[in-house]
Amino acid sequence: MPTSVTSTTVNSDAEAYEEEHVHAIYDQIASHFSSTRYKPWPIIAKFLDSLPSGSIGLDSGTGNGKYLPLPLDRPNSICTIGLDRSRNLLKFARQAGGKKRDVIWGDVLDLGWRTGIFDYAISIATIHHLASSSRRRQAVETLIRSVSPSHGRILIYVWAVEQDGLSKRSIPPEENSTGIGRDVFVPWILNQSPENEERSHNPSVFNRYYHMFVEGELENLVQDAVANLGMVVGSAKSSVERRGVEILQNGWERSNWYIELKRWQV
Amino acid sequence: MRLIAHHILACHAKGCTSNNFPLKFSDVESQNAEAEFSPDFLKGFYPKIEWNVLITTAKEKFIKFGEVSLPEEQPNLEDLDEETLKKIHHVLLEIDVITGKMSCPNCGHIYPIMSGIPNMLLAEHEIA
Ligand SMILES: [Zn+2]
Repeated sequence: MPTSVTSTTVNSDAEAYEEEHVHAIYDQIASHFSSTRYKPWPIIAKFLDSLPSGSIGLDSGTGNGKYLPLPLDRPNSICTIGLDRSRNLLKFARQAGGKKRDVIWGDVLDLGWRTGIFDYAISIATIHHLASSSRRRQAVETLIRSVSPSHGRILIYVWAVEQDGLSKRSIPPEENSTGIGRDVFVPWILNQSPENEERSHNPSVFNRYYHMFVEGELENLVQDAVANLGMVVGSAKSSVERRGVEILQNGWERSNWYIELKRWQV
Repeated sequence: MRLIAHHILACHAKGCTSNNFPLKFSDVESQNAEAEFSPDFLKGFYPKIEWNVLITTAKEKFIKFGEVSLPEEQPNLEDLDEETLKKIHHVLLEIDVITGKMSCPNCGHIYPIMSGIPNMLLAEHEIA
């Protein structure tokens, strides 16, 4: 059953817009949403698996905390702290995988911890909920500032305009390509009677705001964020600068754009 | 909220950029929550530990720590014995703060903890 995506325009203050079309919705659908989010995506699982024991990290926009227990074959070898705006989702994250997890109620734009304290940070399906390009850039800046200047690693996933054939969603046709993605509503259908297998006659529809990224847009966002922090994008070897961010991988998977970054200083 | 999070969190109110760590506890109710001992994790995290913060936190009244306490001087990583590691494990990973307040030593901003979740959200005018 395809759910259709509709175009929208952010016509008010971006923060107020997110409050209405993102935060308020996740607090209401938290329980149903959480029950559908349990399978980790392979590239993210691989990233977490590659981290050395003793690492501490941030999951910025943790939702129900499905990445907090990873890696499963080395439990307790690393510690991921989950942050989210939805308090109701955090109730699930706090006990993700049946163990006590470390969670914070906070905003992905803020830096409420010791600067550079984390060895890694992940931001999965989160930045696309921010309703202006400057707020999306600021979220990337916060991730960069949160991780170690010498070795901090970052993985970011956002939803792509370019959807694969398996996707359940149909996207309205593109108007023009400008390198800037599309502002859309993605419906979440909350059945009023979950015990009933049949479709309820009056399901509630919650239209969540997404900014869908076009090819190249996530990398540009990273470039802007790094420049804004007075650093360079590139490898330590090829630069005369003292501090920078290297792009380790940058690609598309299952209707999402992702990018992996590593900080360095000399 | 386990105390490892307290060892990470810092005040981020507008203009508050120094002396904003560690946040000071008050009105805390905590419970013990047993966690699996992972020396590999603790040794990796060890360089990030602020020793005075850890020993001050370990003396908080809400911690039922028993007779033993941590050495005043931070041992070198190579010299860490299992007994000390287990004490660090207990303080950072086995004390779960359920309710309480954390206040900034610099600006006094209060971050509440409710149902085990610290609230680090700020009002718009408080954001740096
Ligand atoms: Zn402060």
